[in-house]
Amino acid sequence: MTAVSAPAARRPVPATRRPGLATARLLRLELRHNAMLWMLPVVIALFWVTTYRKTMAMPPMWNLRAASMQSGAIVDFITPVAGAAAWMGSREARRHICDLVTITARPRWARLLATWAATTCWALVGYLGCLAVLYGVTAHQASWGGPLWWPAAVAAASLPALSALGFAAGTLLPSRFTAPVAAVVAFFTLALSTQLTVGSQSYWQVSPLVTGPWDTGPDAGVATFYPDLPDLPIAQVMFLAGLTTALLAALVLPRGSGRRGLRAAAGAVTAAGLLAAGTAVALAGTGTLDAHGMIAIPALHDVANDRPVRFTPICSHTSIPVCLNPAYASYLPATVTALEPVLSEIAGLPGAPARISQAAATYQQGAGNSVSVGLAGPLISGRPPVYYLLLPDQLPGPTMAASELAAKVQLGAGPGIISTFIGDSPRASQAQHAVVAALMMAAGLPQHGSPPGTTPAANSEPVPSGHSRCESPAARCAASSPGRAAGVMNQPPEVAPGSPAYAAARRFAALAASARHAWLVQHLTALRAGRITVAQLP
Amino acid sequence: MNVEITGLTRCFGRTTAVAGVDLQAGPGVFGLLGPNGAGKTSLLRMMATAVPPTSGTLRLLGRDPGSYGPRREIRRRLGYLPQILGYYLGFTVVEFVEYFALLKEMPAARVRAAVAAAVERVELGGKAKAKLRTLSGGMLCRVGIAQAIVNEPELLLLDEPTAGLDPEQRVAFRGLLRDLGQRATVVVSTHLVEDVGAACAQVALMDQGKIVFHGTPADLTARGEGHGIGDAPLERGYSAVLTGVRS
Repeated sequence: MTAVSAPAARRPVPATRRPGLATARLLRLELRHNAMLWMLPVVIALFWVTTYRKTMAMPPMWNLRAASMQSGAIVDFITPVAGAAAWMGSREARRHICDLVTITARPRWARLLATWAATTCWALVGYLGCLAVLYGVTAHQASWGGPLWWPAAVAAASLPALSALGFAAGTLLPSRFTAPVAAVVAFFTLALSTQLTVGSQSYWQVSPLVTGPWDTGPDAGVATFYPDLPDLPIAQVMFLAGLTTALLAALVLPRGSGRRGLRAAAGAVTAAGLLAAGTAVALAGTGTLDAHGMIAIPALHDVANDRPVRFTPICSHTSIPVCLNPAYASYLPATVTALEPVLSEIAGLPGAPARISQAAATYQQGAGNSVSVGLAGPLISGRPPVYYLLLPDQLPGPTMAASELAAKVQLGAGPGIISTFIGDSPRASQAQHAVVAALMMAAGLPQHGSPPGTTPAANSEPVPSGHSRCESPAARCAASSPGRAAGVMNQPPEVAPGSPAYAAARRFAALAASARHAWLVQHLTALRAGRITVAQLP
Repeated sequence: MNVEITGLTRCFGRTTAVAGVDLQAGPGVFGLLGPNGAGKTSLLRMMATAVPPTSGTLRLLGRDPGSYGPRREIRRRLGYLPQILGYYLGFTVVEFVEYFALLKEMPAARVRAAVAAAVERVELGGKAKAKLRTLSGGMLCRVGIAQAIVNEPELLLLDEPTAGLDPEQRVAFRGLLRDLGQRATVVVSTHLVEDVGAACAQVALMDQGKIVFHGTPADLTARGEGHGIGDAPLERGYSAVLTGVRS
């Protein structure tokens, strides 16, 4: 045995290299020993407590649940994914194994990519599991429509980006403290970034937490009458993909990580990723709130998405049918219960609406983050006439239980229907005011100024401070979270207790329904024309 | 020659860890002796391509590790056991060795058999499925050796490999070294001169970043004749050389 004179030994002929198989086995090892695997129970518990329960409490509508799922899932996954990725990224330095892995043939970027991929795989497995349960349950409950995939895609694209950010932090600043710091910083950065969103033309809309006009939250009024716009999600996915690509390609940039050509290509890919992310931010800044409540980005917008969705409304079998978009089918019983007393008062009268039909809401960006929501067209139109209404849940704000919705419909749409039918307005005659008040009393609608135990005198829908109610068919209701001006349209002028009109109203309301009906059949045209006086009311 | 070093220097800031080392080594076991801070680990790290030299030329397995392609080829044929073995607590013995086999780009089809052979060779077959966190220091050292030899390296660099091994294991390890040295160049850095005497055909002695002696263990022993410091002939040669250099 000699150390200086013998020739270099010949290596045995190697077996055929199969890089794919070796990479798969490396990935398998990384998957088995990944911190994200151990974080999955935490993530799933977080998702269940903070997102699943909240989302399932919402009506079974895809628009609401998809938006709630997108923001909720990202918030739930930020901390565990960024933390686990940072932990895995700092693993080699923490475990003092840098020299040992540095001198191996597999390039550093390929080694790190396997670790990142395993972290991301587990995060995606957790997320897809949560998504499958939430969408599966919704599919069983929803009356109409199908899953909205763009919100799901944005949340899915967030995970590799979060993982790459955490991983980069762990690789660059390896320490046992990197993971908790990265987790906390990622959470607050993402959560606080949305606070900078002002109006629909904000660059910060690129944040994956943003699902629509910021500050309105999940909105039942969008993506039902018109297709869900993919414009903002496309920009968000582009941003996240660009960020992920840039961060991962940067792994190849350090000297010695690969051949010069490979590093140059990685530099180009990094630049392309950053360019894509920057372009996405710029695109998000050009977004505007469209008339259907979604963010439209001109460069990404497909005009085909402006066409209304075809649907067959579901209608009640009442004296005047109440028809809703099938997506809101769960609201039909409550809506019918709320409106039936009013509809029975006017059914069969000349000019009575042939049906009450739910309309699409139209949106307009106000100052700051405020959004005006209302009906685009007239309240009543067509022959035979159709009365159009907005359900309170079509306006931004917290979703409602059926009883809450029924109360709001009764208080908002009920007086509106009567008032529109009689032709009441501030300039109408006292007799019209009185008849409207009488019909409201007869329908059991509460009225402002009523003595306790008596039928109230006038409708009063408390409007939250800072919001306005729709006073005319073309008016819009300013609505921003958390309140809303729900279905309060064309409200009749108040009839003051003690006035002659009030006395006439009470007198008219006290008549039998058939007598009221017979009188109205005979005198409705004259009443609408303002030719009937209070004294002439029976 | 598997190792050809000329004027190799490595500085860390103002400290010169390795100062103009010249060395050549072919197949066989090569012992690298020296006191603490002599530069043995820095020299081994350069030979392992973990750090580049500040100056000088280094050729390993007939290739220049300064270029990416040749360096990668060298790394495929390299085994390295660092002085302080880092490891992943949750990995089993087999997984840890397999991990390095895959990182060394061994053909996937050969990995399983190579891992099993390496684990058996360090006599850890009975602990193959044990988590690394459950192993003793000596067993961990053997895991480190297993990962170093799993790819049947042509150049094997071992930094203090016998630290932590009990006498019986050290005897077995010397046998393994001799076996590996049959066809590969094995460079062993150690404080323990008896390991060198038992296993090495060539020995170099480093002090203050320089090679101050290069020869056979017998030559080193001869240098110690008549020198009083040391219990064994090789130790006396070691201290005689160092004393001569320092005086």
